[in-house]
Amino acid sequence: MTTLGQEESQLCDIPRTKRPLHVQEVLPAQRSVDLSEILDRLNQAPVVTPFDQSRTEFIADLSRRLARAGRGLAETQALAYWMRKAEIHRMNVAFSKLESEGFVLMPRGTVFHIPPSNVDTLFVYSWVLSTLVGNRNIVRLSSRATEQSNLIIETICEALVNHRTVADSSVMVTYGHDDSVTAAISAVSDTRVIWGGDVTVNRIRSIPIPPHATEVVFADRFSMAAIGIEAYQSLDTRERGRLADLFFNDAYWFDQLGCSSPRLLLWVGKRDPGPSANDFFSRVRGVAHAKAYSVDTSTAIAKLGQSYSTMIDAEVSGYSAQDNTLTVLDMSSFPDVRGEFCGAGLFYQLHVSQLNEIVSHVRRADQTLTTFGIPEQEITKLVSDLRGRGIDRIVPFGQALRFSRFWDGYDLLTELTRKVTISVRGALG
Amino acid sequence: MTATRPGAAADSKAAGTLISAGLSELFTRPQFSIPQDEKQQLLLSEFERMTSQHRIACEPYRKIMDALGAPQSGYTSLEALPYLPVSLFKTHRLSSVPEDQVFKVMTSSGTTGQAVSQVILDRTTADLQSKALAAVMARVLGNQRHPMVIIDTPNVVKDRKRFSARGAGVLGMLPFGRRHFYALNDEMELDLPGLEAFLARHAEEPILLFGFTFMVWQYFLRALTSAGAFPNLSNGTLIHSGGWKALAEEAVGNVEFKSALKEATGLGRVHNFYGMVEQVGSVFLEGDDNFLYPPNFAEVIIRDPQTWEPAPDGTPGVVEVLSVLPRSYPGHVLLTEDLGVVHGTGDPTSGWAGKRLQILGRVPRSELRGCSDTHASDRAGRR
Repeated sequence: MTTLGQEESQLCDIPRTKRPLHVQEVLPAQRSVDLSEILDRLNQAPVVTPFDQSRTEFIADLSRRLARAGRGLAETQALAYWMRKAEIHRMNVAFSKLESEGFVLMPRGTVFHIPPSNVDTLFVYSWVLSTLVGNRNIVRLSSRATEQSNLIIETICEALVNHRTVADSSVMVTYGHDDSVTAAISAVSDTRVIWGGDVTVNRIRSIPIPPHATEVVFADRFSMAAIGIEAYQSLDTRERGRLADLFFNDAYWFDQLGCSSPRLLLWVGKRDPGPSANDFFSRVRGVAHAKAYSVDTSTAIAKLGQSYSTMIDAEVSGYSAQDNTLTVLDMSSFPDVRGEFCGAGLFYQLHVSQLNEIVSHVRRADQTLTTFGIPEQEITKLVSDLRGRGIDRIVPFGQALRFSRFWDGYDLLTELTRKVTISVRGALG
Repeated sequence: MTATRPGAAADSKAAGTLISAGLSELFTRPQFSIPQDEKQQLLLSEFERMTSQHRIACEPYRKIMDALGAPQSGYTSLEALPYLPVSLFKTHRLSSVPEDQVFKVMTSSGTTGQAVSQVILDRTTADLQSKALAAVMARVLGNQRHPMVIIDTPNVVKDRKRFSARGAGVLGMLPFGRRHFYALNDEMELDLPGLEAFLARHAEEPILLFGFTFMVWQYFLRALTSAGAFPNLSNGTLIHSGGWKALAEEAVGNVEFKSALKEATGLGRVHNFYGMVEQVGSVFLEGDDNFLYPPNFAEVIIRDPQTWEPAPDGTPGVVEVLSVLPRSYPGHVLLTEDLGVVHGTGDPTSGWAGKRLQILGRVPRSELRGCSDTHASDRAGRR
C-alpha cells in the first residue's frame, strides 16, 4: 500500500474551539464523541493513491455485501451494481486515461460530504468515489435516517472491520443544526461537497473553508424531456408501451423529486401533438396503475396546490387530472416553473416546432434533458446554441436517474483529486 | 355597557342592505334551522353568483377558472362548484377588491410553521364575519352576554400587534361575554381562588366559558382534578375549539372530554366548533348529538382524495368548506387539509338541521421528501 506521509495532516491548522463540540459518530463506531477527537484521528489517517488496491478491494467487498443485504431493495441493489468490481475496474481504466506524461492525479486530502437532509443512497455515491481516489472522508448524515440508509450504514460498518486502513480514513457523523460543528469540520477540509438545495448551499457557503480548499456544490435543478412528434407517431403499440415504461421510471421512481426526473415535457415537431400527447399520457397512467403507484392524500393536495399556483403564475391552457397518479398541465408558453415542487406525477407539456426554440428560456438551473425521437443534429445544435447557459446532461428515455461520475457538469473523479505536474527536464537536463 | 350582544336584531337589517335577498334570508332565519334541500337551493344560486363575481374581480381566480374550463353558470349542485385548495392563500395574494377598499389583511401561521395565509378583507366581508359569528353563537348562548371565564392567560391578548392565532380566537369571543375572568396565570397555572370567587359572585347566573380544547383539558380540568377541586359549573356553557390532536395522543376524544367535564364540574353544555382563518365567522358548531353543523350560510362536502369526487355519507375524505361570507377574496369554496366524515343530516325539528360533520384531524404529512430544500438529485443512481 502506498501511503502519503502522515505528517501531511500538519499542513492543516486544526482550529481549537473553546467549547467541546459533541457529535454522534455513526461510523466506524456508534458513540457520542467530541468532534476534535474525530478530526484528530481522521487527519492522522493516511491518504492513498487513487484506486489503491486497499480501496478497490474494499469497495468490491462492500458491493457484494450490499447486494446480499439489500435483497428486494431496488435502491440498494442499484447502488451495489453501480460499484461492483467490474465497474470499478472500468472506472479505474478511465481514470488512468485522465493522467498524462505531464501530470499525475493525487487525492485532495480530507473531503467533507454534506448529503441532502433526507438520507438515502446518495451519500454513498459521493463517499465511494472519494474513497476510491484515496481521500479521507467525513460525511455528515442527516439524523432522519431511513430504514434503507440504516441498512447501508450497518453493511458499511461490517465491511470496514476487514479493511482497517479504509476504516481509519472514514467517518460518518450526525449533529443538529449547529454551524459551529460544520465550521470546525470545514476548517480541516481540503474539499467540501454540498448536495443542496439552494438554501442549504447558501447557508453552508457562508461558513469558510481553508483558502486552499475547493468546493463542489449541487444546487436545486430542473429537468425536462422531449419527444419528437413524428417519431412518436411512427411507433407501434408495443414500442409506445415501452416508451411509457421508460418515462415512468425516469419520472416516478423517486416520486418525481429526483432533480434529473422530467417535469416539463416538450413535444417537438410541426405536427399537432394533441393525439400523441393524449396517447402517451394515457399509457403512462396505465403504467402507473399497473405498478400500483399510489399518491397519499397530503401529496395529492400538494399537487392540486401546485397546479392551481401554476395556473396563476404561468399560461396554462388545459388541465387534466383524471386521478391522483398523473396530472398534466398544457402550457401555452415556456413556463418558469422551477423551484419548489410537489412531485408524484405532475407534468407541464409544451409544443415547440423545433428543439432550439427553448434556447432563450433555458436557465443555469436546468440539468437533464431526456429525449426520444429527436435527431442527433438537432440535439447538437441545441447544445451549441445554448453555449453552456444550462442543461448538463442529455440522455435517452430511461436513463434520467442513472448516476455517473459526471454530474451537474462536474467530473467528480477530477473534482476529488488534484493534478500534480511533473517536469524533470531543466535547463541543464 | 349594554348586555345585548353585537350582531343581534338591530344589525341584521344592515346586513340586508349590503347583500342580496338570498343572503339576507340566511342571516334572518334562525341558524341551523333550514332543512337541507331548501338550504342547498338557497346556497347554490348564491355561490354561483359569487363564483362569477370573483371571476370578474379577481384575476388569479379567473386564470384558474379558465384553465380548469369551469363553466360561467349553470351549476346544478354545490358539488359541481370549482374549489380552491386552501394552500393557495399561502402562496398568493387573492383579492377581489380594489386596494383602497382593503380594510384588513388577516394572516395566520400555516401548518409548516413557515407559510402564512393572507386573507384580504374589505369592510363588507369583515362586517359579515362578525354578524355571522354572532348569529352562530346566539344558537347556544342566546342574545344575552353572560359572565365569561376565559380558560387562558390574559397575556394571550395583551400584545395586539402580534397576537397569536390563540389570541385572535380569544379576542373574537370576548364580545359574547362580560365581566371577563382569565382563569390561568402567565405560568398556565389555574387561579383556583379567583375562579371560586368569580363563581360565587355569579352563582345564580348562566356562565360562558371559552378556551382551546387542549388548554381546557390540560390546564383547567387536569388542574381541578389534581387540586381535588370540583367547582359547580352546571349553569355554564363551554365553547371550545382548536383540534383534538394533542388529546388524541392521550386517547381522549369528544365523548371522554365531555364526560370528564360533566363529572368534575357538572358542566353539561359543551360545544366544540370548527373554523379557519380563510373563512372567519363561518364556524361549524357542535350540536346536542356531538356532531358539527354548518350554519345557514355555510356547507361542507367530503371529497374522496383519490378521485376528488364527493364521498358518500359515512365515508371519510378531505373536507371542502363553502361559505357565502367571503366577498373580498375568492374563498367561498375551499378544499381544506382536514379529514372528515359526514353522517347524514340532522333533524330540523331538533333545532339542528344540516349535514352532521365529524372532523378526523389533519391530513397526515406526506412521507415523500416533500417540496422542501432537499436536493432533488439525492435520489439519483437507480437504474
